[in-house]
Amino acid sequence: MTEEAGKLEQIRDITRIDRIGAHSHIRGLGLNDALEPRHTSQGMVGQVQARRAAGIILEMIKEGKIAGRAILIGGQPGTGKTAIAMGMSQSLGTDTPFTAISGSEIFSLEMSRTEALTQAFRKSIGVRIKEETEIIEGEVVEIQIDRPVSEGGAKVGKLTLKTTEMETIYDLGAKMIESLTKEKVQAGDIITIDKSSGRSTKLGRSYTRARDYDAMGPQTKYVHCPEGELQKRKEVVHTVSLHEIDVINSRTQGFLALFSGDTGEIKTEVRDQISIKIAEWREEGKADIVPGVLFIDEVHMLDIECFSFLNRALESDMAPILIMATNRGITKIRGTNYTSPHGIPIDLLDRLLIVSTVPYDEKEMHKILAIRCEEEDVEMNEEALAILTKIGGETSLRYAIQLITASALTCRKRKGAEVEIQDIKRVYALFLDESRSSQFLKEYQKDFMFSEIQTDTDNSK
Amino acid sequence: MASAKPRSTDRWLEELKSSKKTCLVSDGKKKVHYLFTSGLEMSEDYDLKTGTMLVRRFKRKSIFGGDGKWEFEVGLSSSRGDEGNQIITECFSNPIFTRVDTSVYFQWRIRNLTYPKSNYIISCNPVEREILVKTVNKKYFKKINIPDMDRCELPFDSKALSFDHANNTLIISYKKPLAILDLEKKVFKEISNLKANEDGQVDCAQS
Repeated sequence: MTEEAGKLEQIRDITRIDRIGAHSHIRGLGLNDALEPRHTSQGMVGQVQARRAAGIILEMIKEGKIAGRAILIGGQPGTGKTAIAMGMSQSLGTDTPFTAISGSEIFSLEMSRTEALTQAFRKSIGVRIKEETEIIEGEVVEIQIDRPVSEGGAKVGKLTLKTTEMETIYDLGAKMIESLTKEKVQAGDIITIDKSSGRSTKLGRSYTRARDYDAMGPQTKYVHCPEGELQKRKEVVHTVSLHEIDVINSRTQGFLALFSGDTGEIKTEVRDQISIKIAEWREEGKADIVPGVLFIDEVHMLDIECFSFLNRALESDMAPILIMATNRGITKIRGTNYTSPHGIPIDLLDRLLIVSTVPYDEKEMHKILAIRCEEEDVEMNEEALAILTKIGGETSLRYAIQLITASALTCRKRKGAEVEIQDIKRVYALFLDESRSSQFLKEYQKDFMFSEIQTDTDNSK
Repeated sequence: MASAKPRSTDRWLEELKSSKKTCLVSDGKKKVHYLFTSGLEMSEDYDLKTGTMLVRRFKRKSIFGGDGKWEFEVGLSSSRGDEGNQIITECFSNPIFTRVDTSVYFQWRIRNLTYPKSNYIISCNPVEREILVKTVNKKYFKKINIPDMDRCELPFDSKALSFDHANNTLIISYKKPLAILDLEKKVFKEISNLKANEDGQVDCAQS
C-alpha cells in the first residue's frame, strides 16, 4: 500500500514541472458571460468592483479597435492588483500578446529608458501573418532520449518518424527534446514539427494503435498516418510581435539577437520602415494587427521623463492597451519635487481609467488562504485556517500566505496528517511579521550597528 | 504550344541577362552570383575544366526581412549539419539526396540506400510535373521536381527517365531535352563573357 503511494507521488513529480508562484492560482478573472464577477471563481476572490471594471476593459481589448487606452489599478499592498492583471492575461489567451514588466526594470545602463519602454510597447503588438515554413509531419515510430553521461553534457535524442510511404531518423537538439518531453510525445503519436522554430504539436494517436484505447482514456483523438513525404512546405499563420520583426531587421545584430536577448537600441528608421511595411500588408490583406496588453507593475518607479514619453506614445495608433498598477498614495513624482496622486503627473492621470482595489475582509481572506493551501498542496484543518485568517487580518495577507508552506513543513516534521493550530503557532513564533519585526528593532535599536550615529532624518521616516 | 516553348526559354534567359552578376574564380571553379530585380539571389559554380555545373543555389529574403538560408537546387552544402542547429536535423545514416547534373542528363543521386534495385519504383508524372521515387518496403519516398523544366515550361516525357543502383546509391537520370541543352549553351556563353575577379578580391554583398 505504501509502496503504491510512493509510486503515485513519483508519477506526479514528473508531470508537474511548473513551480508554484505567487499568482499560480489565478486562472482568469472569474466573470460570467454577462461580465458579472462571481464571488469566488478561477482563483479570484472578492474585489468585485475592480474585476467588473477589468472585465469591461477586457472586452475593449478583445474588440481590438481602440488603441492606446491606459488603465491604472491603484490600491494598498496585497489587495490583488497584480492578481487582476494576471487574471486578464489568462483570460486573453495565448494568441494576444501580454507583456508584463516592472517599473524598475527599464532602468538599465545599456539602454535608455525610453528605448526600453518602446521595446515593451512593441512587444505588446502582435502581427498575425501567413508564412511558408518547412514542417515535418509523421507518426512517431520510436523516440529515444539519452541522459548525458557526464554532468552538464547536452542531452541527445533520436526520433524515428514515418508516413505511409517512408521512414526517417532525426537527431534531436536540446530545445527539441524539451519541447517533445513537454508535449509527452510517445510512439504511436502523430506529430508536426515546425523545422525552423522547433515547435511541435500533437495531432493525435495513430489508428494503428487504436487497440490501446483503454489505456489512453476516452479523450484521445485518432488520426490517420500521413501520406507521402515527411517534410512538407506548408503555409501557417502565426503571430509575431513588432519587436521581433524589429530585431530581425536591425542589421547590426541579426536574427540571432533574439535568442541572446541583447538587442541594444533599435534605430527609429528601422521601426518606421517596419510600420510602413505592416500598413502595406494590412491593406493587401496579408496581415492582421493583434493589439495586446502592456502591464507595468509598480508604475510609481517611473520618472517624469518616462511619463511624458507615455503621454506621447499612447497617442500612436499602434499603441497597445496599457495597464499600470501602483500601491502609492499621494507621493513625489520620481525625478521632480512635485507631489501627485499615485506619483503620476496629472496630465497622464487625466488619460487614465482608474480602478481601485479595496482591502479584503475576513471572509475573503479565509477563501484566499484556502485556495492557496490547495495550490501549495497543503492540508490544513478548519481551526488552523481560522487562526491563520486572524493572523492575516492583523498582519498582512502576504505574511499569512508565507506561513502556509512553512507550517506544512513543521507539520510534516512532527509526522502530522494535516496542519493544526500548533504548527501555525510554531511558525508564527519562528518568523516575524513586519510589525513585530519593527517593534523588535525599536526595542533593540541601540544594539545594532551604527546606532550611535543619530540623525534627524530617522524620525521623519 | 510549339510556339510557346521558345518564348518561355527566352524569358528565363532574359531574366538572367538583366540580373546583376558577379563572378570569381577560385579552387578551379568559376563562381557566378546573380542578383535578380525581385531581390532573389542565385549562385552557380562551374567546373573550369569541363564546364559542367556543380552547384546552383537560391536565397530569398524572408517575409519579415532579414536573410534567408541558401537552398540548394544542384549540389550539396559543404557545411552540412554545422548550422548550430539546436532543433532537429536528419540523422547522418539517412538517405542523402543530391542533384548532380551531367552535360546530357539531369541526374539525382540518393546515397545511403542499401536496398536492392528491385525495391525501387520510379515513375514520371507529367501532370504534376514531378518524378516519383517509391520503395516497396516503404522506407523512402521522394517527389522530385525539375525547376529547370518548370522555368522553361517544358513538358515531361517518361521515356527520358532511367535509373540504376550501385554502391548503396540510387542514380536517377532524366535526359535533358533539346531546348534545355540549347539554353545551357547560351547561358554558358553569357557567363564566359563575364570578367572574373581575381581570387580574394570579391565584390559581392557579404551577408
